[in-house]
Amino acid sequence: MLFHVHASSGVPLYQQIVGQVKNAVASGASRAGDSLPSVRKLAADLRINPNTIARAYQELEREGITRTVPGGGTYVADIKPGILKSEKQKRLRPLARQLAVESVQLRFDSDECVEMLKAELRELGEKP
Amino acid sequence: MNEWAIETRQLSKYYGDVKALDGLTLKAPKGSVYGYLGRNGAGKSTTLKVLLGLARATSGEAHVLGERVRPENLAILERTAYVGENKPLYEWMSAEQMVRFTRGFYKSWSDEAARRYAEMLEIPMRRKIKKLSKGNRTKVSLLLALAQGAELLMLDEPTSGLDPVYLDDVLRTLVEHHVNEGRTVFFSSHDLSEVEQIAEWVGIIDNGKMLLEARLDDIRENFRTVIASGNGLPETGENIASVTRDGNFRKYVLARGGESFAASLEQQGAAVLEVKAMSLREVFLALLRKESANVSVEVLA
Repeated sequence: MLFHVHASSGVPLYQQIVGQVKNAVASGASRAGDSLPSVRKLAADLRINPNTIARAYQELEREGITRTVPGGGTYVADIKPGILKSEKQKRLRPLARQLAVESVQLRFDSDECVEMLKAELRELGEKP
Repeated sequence: MNEWAIETRQLSKYYGDVKALDGLTLKAPKGSVYGYLGRNGAGKSTTLKVLLGLARATSGEAHVLGERVRPENLAILERTAYVGENKPLYEWMSAEQMVRFTRGFYKSWSDEAARRYAEMLEIPMRRKIKKLSKGNRTKVSLLLALAQGAELLMLDEPTSGLDPVYLDDVLRTLVEHHVNEGRTVFFSSHDLSEVEQIAEWVGIIDNGKMLLEARLDDIRENFRTVIASGNGLPETGENIASVTRDGNFRKYVLARGGESFAASLEQQGAAVLEVKAMSLREVFLALLRKESANVSVEVLA
């Protein structure tokens, strides 16, 4: 698995790593049993502090996304579909909120806002 | 067991009337990478000099690796490696000769490590120091410091003047072969993007005092810029680090609680235009551009 962190985005680096693992899992790019790079390797690859990686891995384990075999590395866990669904919602919700906030500030009513979203979905070939 | 690689309490250093350090309290955890930031003349280099025993503190105390700092305490120098701003090297020696010259001073010196760093950093070891580029001189200094096998590496502006590829090599080497072994790096720097990349902890000092010392991810998690417009907006308040004004507009920098602050402004009828996370550079400028800052931001727990 490949990672990228953006140090000046203002988002904590450990959260960026947690988010990237979750995205990979939610999109099916990483599956149960796939291994994650070791803390030391990822720290060297990203030029960031190993403590930050360790914190990300602890968080992932706590949320049940990964499991750690003592002395044997970190792996994607068998994740319950419920968790995946809620992860996906977590990712989409801030974008939905952003759309809602902007549309209120710019004084669109809710029909106009929804219509615009539907138009974008049609553009992508999705049936609204 | 002491969890701090460096710990100072109310450390002051006066040069005549000039207070270079003014009651500085600093704590760098063992095994961390600590970026030490401040403007020119803020007291960064003086701090390093006092910690290394090269200058005597006027008052207060400092501990390095659990040892009380005193100029006559040489145990610290045995366990600490230092790369200064000027990187003094013997011009007429080659890098290889510098290695042979330096190794005798350190009990924990590793020839194998020196060879590995030379290869990894692609240092031309046979060339005379005076013929080396600035980047290569920095790499030689770093090699000499790393091969000492010191528990604590203190670097004063280690990467100033390095091109981005050199810088990347140096950062990788530091993480891979020093921090990954559980050892500590304490470095002062102007380059906020580099600090942001590699540091786990930052301390920002001004006029010899600590303004903010925190885990960098906690700064990212807590500091927010809030832009709002309305009548009767607050000018001060808990957690407000600075305010910039323009007509009915206010730009706030909050040390924490940005989202709930924005919500309370909205309840009072103000329009909140933006709530944004901040880069280290933005936090640094907000704390040090003092026209409107009420500094003394508490350490984020």
